[in-house]
Amino acid sequence: MLLIQNARIASEHSADLTHGDVLIEDAKIKSIGQGLSAPTGAKIIDAKNRIMMPAMFDAHVHFREPGFEAKETIASGAESAINGGITGVVMMPNTNPTIDSATVVGQVLDIAKRTARIPVYTSGCVTKGRHGKELAGIDGMRNLGVKMLTDDGDTTGDPAVLLRAMQYASEFDMFFASHCEVPELAGPRALNEGVTSYRLGIKGSPACAEEIIIDRDIRLAHAAGAHIHIQHVSSKLGMETIAWWKSRGDVKVTAEVAPHHLLFIDEDIGDYDTHYKMNPPLRTKADNEALLQGLIDGVFDLIATDHAPHTPFEKSQDFVSAPNGITGLDTALVSLYHHFIATGKFGWDLLIKRYSAEPRRMMGLEVPTITEGSPADLILFDTEKETTFTKEFMKSKSQNTPFLDKTLKGSVDLVVLGDEILLER
Amino acid sequence: MPRKDLLDISSLGREEIDLLLDQAAPFKELFTRSVKKVPALKGKSVLMLFYEPSTRTHSSFEVAAKRLSADVTNFDVAHSSITKGESVRETVETLQAMRTDYIIVRHKASGLPGTIAKLTKASVINAGDGAHAHPTQALLDAFTIKEKFPDPTGKKVLIIGDILHSRVARSTSTILKKLGLQVAYLGPGSLVPKNGPENIQRFTNYDEAMKWSPDVVYLLRVQMERQDVQYFPSIREYHKLYGVGDKRLADIRDRGLYIMHPGPVNRGVELCDAVMDYERSLINEQVENGIAVRMAVLYHLKPGSES
Repeated sequence: MLLIQNARIASEHSADLTHGDVLIEDAKIKSIGQGLSAPTGAKIIDAKNRIMMPAMFDAHVHFREPGFEAKETIASGAESAINGGITGVVMMPNTNPTIDSATVVGQVLDIAKRTARIPVYTSGCVTKGRHGKELAGIDGMRNLGVKMLTDDGDTTGDPAVLLRAMQYASEFDMFFASHCEVPELAGPRALNEGVTSYRLGIKGSPACAEEIIIDRDIRLAHAAGAHIHIQHVSSKLGMETIAWWKSRGDVKVTAEVAPHHLLFIDEDIGDYDTHYKMNPPLRTKADNEALLQGLIDGVFDLIATDHAPHTPFEKSQDFVSAPNGITGLDTALVSLYHHFIATGKFGWDLLIKRYSAEPRRMMGLEVPTITEGSPADLILFDTEKETTFTKEFMKSKSQNTPFLDKTLKGSVDLVVLGDEILLER
Repeated sequence: MPRKDLLDISSLGREEIDLLLDQAAPFKELFTRSVKKVPALKGKSVLMLFYEPSTRTHSSFEVAAKRLSADVTNFDVAHSSITKGESVRETVETLQAMRTDYIIVRHKASGLPGTIAKLTKASVINAGDGAHAHPTQALLDAFTIKEKFPDPTGKKVLIIGDILHSRVARSTSTILKKLGLQVAYLGPGSLVPKNGPENIQRFTNYDEAMKWSPDVVYLLRVQMERQDVQYFPSIREYHKLYGVGDKRLADIRDRGLYIMHPGPVNRGVELCDAVMDYERSLINEQVENGIAVRMAVLYHLKPGSES
């Protein structure tokens, strides 16, 4: 039993916070009220006006196990999530072996069950080995609970293959998530084509390389009657493409935006800083602003980090050789608070809707709230404290983030899941 | 503050550029003497780390270092285990253990010399990295132009060719802008980026570019080897649209313009044979000045200082 007193309670439905004590018993919120008395044996935490909200859920993470455990394991990735106030994640299938069959899904879920303190879900490949040729073992993966099919890391290159997969798997109530880029236009380098790519002397990847596939994959879903989810949108035109399809209303399309695409631009790469290298790449200030507006307007259904750990050695190579991606789970919530909530750009309600509720709805999961009877799946957030993202603070095995050693406003102070306190600061 | 590395032109201020160009002049005078050597870098070691083939730049640096009495070692990249970026770090750690004073590096990866500079106490000189920078080429170009125009402010340099892939275009235009010259680019639309530097005019038509009245025509080597895909239909078409043939050379002669080229030239592509004998061609002077400028750079850098 846990009694949390004096919390300011946030929800996805209102920007206003309510005040109260919250009693947790048998992994559920038993009661909410003023001046609740603690039952015998209950642990008491004084929230001291910190903000209580449902814990976050990240629908786009790379946990690297099996195959690349030096970068991240399922256990370390889960700890990184907890550290950032996140109690559920969806893994991408670009591990080694790739997650493209019931065998590998079973292995991953088994490791997760044994080593992770939060539920870890996994997507499955659209095609075997993510090679874009033969369909993966779709039914076997579905039987183990896989909902999302994606060749993330790459686009499913052949539209005919993707269309057939959509026609086939939509019948099973599965959905497709697309990493969007035309490889012939994007090249192997994750760098926006623009003034910065010219300055650095590296051929850039134009935004149209992404926008073309965003449109292509929604059109395919439209033709197949499938649900398509567009991953990590980085460009204004890409977002407008999604908005246009949503306005038609005749195809089920959802989309996500990553914090780094709201916060950083290509110029931040400076002198070849690989902590700003990811795919799709950082673009321009105008894109940042458009994407933020898209998040506020609901073009983006959810926020997801694309948490992509790489070892310090890998990231210390020259810009072209260094792998794509940055970590995000440790830093996402605090950075979103620091840059957007503390500055009044949007409220807690939007954050909870887009980073806690909607991703769970997309995955067909129960959505926790701070109401009586809801499962206990919540965090306390301190808006007064600061967080410094040192190597020691972050729980991911890798530290490839622009926030390394930066100090931001806000702190995730408590994470409760079921009967357990997963984190207390 | 002493400078450890020379990685690009952007990080050099006007004063430091002037200092380097001033230092190059007395070194150039040495070349006319019977003994061309000075003991400035006696006992220092210079290591040549060339991951890309190069004859001119490599020899130029080697001659420059030897005329300063330094010991020069060639790190035989072609016959070593080095094949890709991952092993650069180990190589540099090895060189660090050898206590090399200067590392002169050429690599196809843009930015790699900067990565190396962070890993070593040795002075790192960028001898060309990808399409990023070629600072000693820029210095020698500036030196060559200043010999012809002691006050080059406002003079116009038209750079013709593959701007997109050219580290020479980037570094040379940067230094020329810093010295107060005007620069314009001319080339096929697919090789002259629309989102290049804002203060550089962009032409895709030769005659339009000549109306801009340049003082110097700077031809770039058409680097077929760097074009992973096709950027123009054929060499013949390139030469017709952007090359300097006999007719265009006559016009250039009438206008009294200088011609420069970083070498090696592709005869029949960016220029015709006659350009090589043109009295205002500065191509051979660029080669000579390259040694003087590289001596000045080696003399100027301070190994072991903070980068």
